[in-house]
Amino acid sequence: MKKTPLNSELQENIQHIKKKLGESTDVVIREIRIGKEGTFKVGIFYIDGLSDTASLQNFVIETLMIDISISQIENEESPNLNLMKALKDFAMTVGEIKDVANFEDLFTSLLSGDVILLVDGYSEGLIIGNKRWVERGVTEPQSQSVVRGPREGFSENIRINTALIRRKIKDPSLWMESKEIGRLSKTNVTIMYVNGVVDDKIVKELHSRLDRIDIDGILESGDIEEFIQDSQYSPFPTVYNTERPDTVAAALLEGRIAILVDGTPFVLIVPALFVQFFQSSEDYYQRAIMASLIRLLRFFAFGISLLAPALYIAAITFQQEIIPPPLLISLAAQREGVPFPAFIEAVIMEITFEILREAGLRMPRVIGTAMSIVGAFVIGTAAVEAGIISAAMVIVVSITAISSFVSPTYDIAIAGRILRFLFMGIAASFGLYGIMVALIALILHLTSLSSFGVPYMAPLAPYSASGQKDTFIRLPIWKLLSRPKYISKNSVRQKYTAPTSKDKKGAGV
Amino acid sequence: MNKRILFLTILCLILTGCWDRNELNELAITMALGIDKVDDEYVVSAQTVIPGEVSSMKGGPGESPVTLFQAKGATVNDAIRNLAKLSPRTGYFGHLQIVVIGETLAQEGISNTLDYLSRYFEIRSDFYLLIAKETEAGKILNVQTVLERIPANTIFNILHTSQHRMSNTSAVTLSKLIVDLEREGKEGVITGIYIMGDEESGSSKQNVESITPTTQLKMDGIAVFKEDKLVGWLTDEEGIAYNIITNQVKNTLGTLSCPEGGKVTINVDKLTSKLKNTIVDGKPEIKIDIQIFGNIGEIDCEIDVTKKETVKMLEKTYEEQVEKNVNETIQVVQDDFQSDIFGFGAAIHQSNPKEWKKIKSQWGTEFSEIKTTVKVKVNIRHFGTVNNPIQENIKD
Repeated sequence: MKKTPLNSELQENIQHIKKKLGESTDVVIREIRIGKEGTFKVGIFYIDGLSDTASLQNFVIETLMIDISISQIENEESPNLNLMKALKDFAMTVGEIKDVANFEDLFTSLLSGDVILLVDGYSEGLIIGNKRWVERGVTEPQSQSVVRGPREGFSENIRINTALIRRKIKDPSLWMESKEIGRLSKTNVTIMYVNGVVDDKIVKELHSRLDRIDIDGILESGDIEEFIQDSQYSPFPTVYNTERPDTVAAALLEGRIAILVDGTPFVLIVPALFVQFFQSSEDYYQRAIMASLIRLLRFFAFGISLLAPALYIAAITFQQEIIPPPLLISLAAQREGVPFPAFIEAVIMEITFEILREAGLRMPRVIGTAMSIVGAFVIGTAAVEAGIISAAMVIVVSITAISSFVSPTYDIAIAGRILRFLFMGIAASFGLYGIMVALIALILHLTSLSSFGVPYMAPLAPYSASGQKDTFIRLPIWKLLSRPKYISKNSVRQKYTAPTSKDKKGAGV
Repeated sequence: MNKRILFLTILCLILTGCWDRNELNELAITMALGIDKVDDEYVVSAQTVIPGEVSSMKGGPGESPVTLFQAKGATVNDAIRNLAKLSPRTGYFGHLQIVVIGETLAQEGISNTLDYLSRYFEIRSDFYLLIAKETEAGKILNVQTVLERIPANTIFNILHTSQHRMSNTSAVTLSKLIVDLEREGKEGVITGIYIMGDEESGSSKQNVESITPTTQLKMDGIAVFKEDKLVGWLTDEEGIAYNIITNQVKNTLGTLSCPEGGKVTINVDKLTSKLKNTIVDGKPEIKIDIQIFGNIGEIDCEIDVTKKETVKMLEKTYEEQVEKNVNETIQVVQDDFQSDIFGFGAAIHQSNPKEWKKIKSQWGTEFSEIKTTVKVKVNIRHFGTVNNPIQENIKD
């Protein structure tokens, strides 16, 4: 694209900018005169709200109009081009400064919050880095909260976010590459990785996928995610996202790549594997035994949230034999008078629950509490008392709902939520046999997925013995000697020998 | 091609399935079946649960917890199908706990009945079989019971417990009975069930409303089968002996007489027996080795169990008693029933197939004449929480 050069006439430049921006009211244009006799007309442009007005006055306007030793400018022999250099070298008491010669760059900088300085008679201007806007600071992440672990979370500002990661990995091998994506939004997208640990092929692949994106605007990392993920129609996510800098740092150290998008606290991580969605950063801060048990619990809870209603439907409509007689009679007693088949009953309850959950999420927090009371008491209890729904079904749906909240990541819980209905339908028409067939199909699907060339089910399929150390259970940190082999080729992570009994004796005395 | 496969797959999804789908409230959960034969027709009694009455959710008892449907038919299958004329829901036999067979039918032969029970896919083979002693199966299932509200569960649990605690009954499941009946050199047994009290009034709720029910069910004796026909009954004592020989005793009890009057009770907590066979002069002989481990349960006479000789004496007395009981039982079965319920023939078949081939054809008569030697070894291990009888201390 051909760039429009700046005009040397200040007034024409001002007219052009005004016209281009449609005379938007937040554009501030200030014309001042500098020099002994006000020889030079200078135009200062900035967007109100994106620039720091106080420092603009203190360090730009004040210097130009008052502090600047006019004689210095006067003394310059040839005033023409060197005025810009002189201003840059002597007058600007700010850190970041760049030249600009065309309108395209000018607009990008102006609309990013920089201050533009144009001088009459010069077809060149200065971009003065002076961004400052009101933003949310570093606060505790709303998603993925932990009991033990850092409390800081990413914010909407990409610079704060990169800084948060830099603070955790202070090594020159932590590399960053930035791109501007979005024709209109011109969003800064930065990829971060640890050079030497990361698989270069994955970096290359990621670059090519990012470069393919041609869209007017990127507003959240979700927009990027949909463009770069491997499985477009699978319910399972192949890109991980997190609000936690420690999670990102850990992923970078494992050889993964982080994608930071300006304007969102959610950072993407690729490649993302199935088991990763069941891991929480807290797993590594807690003691190994507890962490392992909790991980097992999460997989179990995922199983419940996926299968519980389906198994219940299959058991009470097809395979009554597998229910112990006293339980069968108790269930049969509850179903006396229930007008719907078990499947319809389950669907009604599940949909009711989904409505309640969605309503609770979007609602103001204060009303949210009232919602849950209405949901739990009125719908649950009343439906059972009215004999429309059996009590056992309410129990099954409740345990399913609670289990789906156990997942440390929202995305995998969503996959469970979607597939649950599928399984329920299959259970209602084929019983346990159908559930088994569907499970096999699900496993086939999962093993067919991959994330940036890494098999999605690694280290389970393909099986990796050393990968099992940190999959369903987590061994003590000092036993995790290597990085995941399927992600990083450079797999030596630490050289450590376990504490010997001799060490312990020494420490004891 | 892919579209066609997809289409076929969807067809499979739509056109199959559901055929065996049954909502729980469309099922008549049948916990017990009674099968009788009256005038050449089978009479089937299905004890069906009324779930709302059994469940603890409801307050005081209203109706009876179970109901009994009875239908006749030329075959068992026919009779069961005829139940549909009476019951508003489909009979569901997946959770069958017991099947009671009328004594008359048992005497005529039960192979037809067993064929249906083992052939029908919905019925499992792990329910207990019982013989209605001196009555009809339908009447047994017509008695209300206490503690367990469902009579089928009551009967199931009594049989289970009595086999484990006393070993004078034999909890026989369908699969076990069929194995016994089909095995060469082994005959089957089934425990009998008996109604104590008035048969008619047992059906009403009043029966379980008083502390002592007027009508109760009781396990009584073990029915001996020859092939598929009932040929006689073993008493309780003989029942214990049967279980000892077939190595099915978990716990039992022995009551001994003291030398100077009074009684001592031995609680048996482990008993193993082995059948061995030898050929003596061309004739097979059976040796039964019995090992018993027990504790003293009760002493009602003046003995000093802290002395080694006393314990030896008790052990010896019990050994003799068990030996006598076992020998007498074998005698009764050999003479009166000529049915090899102990599996002597199977033991010979197993260890000496050649010999078995020779005697197989006339095993019915051979069994009655086979010589048996019984060897019993008793070990008394514990005396309970006291040593000598407390009667002694009271005197002091």
